[in-house]
Amino acid sequence: MGLESLISGEGFLTTKINDLVNWARKSALWPMPFGTACCAIEMMATFSGRYDISRFGAEVVRFSPRQSDLLIVSGRISIKMMPVLQKIYRQMPEPKWVISMGACASCGGVFDTYTLVQGVDQFIPVDVYVPGCPPRPESLLDAVFEIQQIIEGEKLDSGKHGS
Amino acid sequence: MTDERPDPADGAEEAPSTPEPAPAQHPVSAALTPALSSTILATLEHQGQTAFVVRSPDQRALLEHLRFEQNFEYLKDVTAIDFLGRDTVERFQLVYVLHRLTDHLTIRVHAWLSEEADEAPSVVDLWDLARWGERETHDMFGIVFDGNPDLRRLLMPEDYPAFPLLKDYPLKGRGERRQFPYLQPRGGEMVEGTPPPYPVTIGRGMHTPDYIEEVRRESRPKGE
Repeated sequence: MGLESLISGEGFLTTKINDLVNWARKSALWPMPFGTACCAIEMMATFSGRYDISRFGAEVVRFSPRQSDLLIVSGRISIKMMPVLQKIYRQMPEPKWVISMGACASCGGVFDTYTLVQGVDQFIPVDVYVPGCPPRPESLLDAVFEIQQIIEGEKLDSGKHGS
Repeated sequence: MTDERPDPADGAEEAPSTPEPAPAQHPVSAALTPALSSTILATLEHQGQTAFVVRSPDQRALLEHLRFEQNFEYLKDVTAIDFLGRDTVERFQLVYVLHRLTDHLTIRVHAWLSEEADEAPSVVDLWDLARWGERETHDMFGIVFDGNPDLRRLLMPEDYPAFPLLKDYPLKGRGERRQFPYLQPRGGEMVEGTPPPYPVTIGRGMHTPDYIEEVRRESRPKGE
């Protein structure tokens, strides 16, 4: 790309720590997929080659919450699954962000019954909601862009993420 | 199955069709012993499938006979129906769906179960599949199967306070789906708080702790 020609000798650049850290965080999101229903199928499509979420730096899918910083809740969450989701969320290290993907995760969807949590945002903080039943992969990509914009605007000394 | 249906043109002036008793020459009926035949309240025929209706616990002897004498070696399902508010023999009906693999014949056994009955006989020793079928039926209806070695809840959380498929249990539950703390990361640690108020006002009065305790008391399974 010709970048090498710009680095002649001992090159350096000046920036703000805040911007540098946020740039690093938003460019390498490591998602933790919490797929429980049909939204997870669309999430898989988003991760795979056709839609290719790795174009935006979020392709390192971690099935261990301790190594991830973006929780994608895709699917309906039953009352038996909610404690599991909360445990997963607790295990993720700071800083972390949450996408609530699809109608079921965001509000229970059409399943307004005794066994289904009516929106995971009642019990864990959610940063971005994705509409759709299920959402297209483009919608999930758009949610990742939203997360990246949120990260861009964060201040390291705000105390939000325990710094 | 279609060739067994009456011609619509013929049946136009006849009375509306009711479940007719199976013909006496039905092979499964004909092979029953007189003692078993006397326990059968009705024999239903629907869509080419035969069903025997008995009263619990008579289904135990009938199922034993069907398993060992008539070789119905495959149990498709065990479940129950709650007929609350209907004019039926009893409130509950246990349904056993049996299958014979040699000629692919499926029949059902329906057993009326009283609301006051302590328990129904288990058929775990006849078919192993009954373990989970009876476990699920217990989970959903609170029916206790005498002889099932493992009647833990199957689908619902283990501390769930009710049996959700009972007809007098509300569809949206009694607040069980709201019983979680709200997690909020703050200053490097996780803070728990009460969840924000539920945006829908319908049924809010049901979510008081006293009410939930009352439900827990009322919906204890029979026989415990």
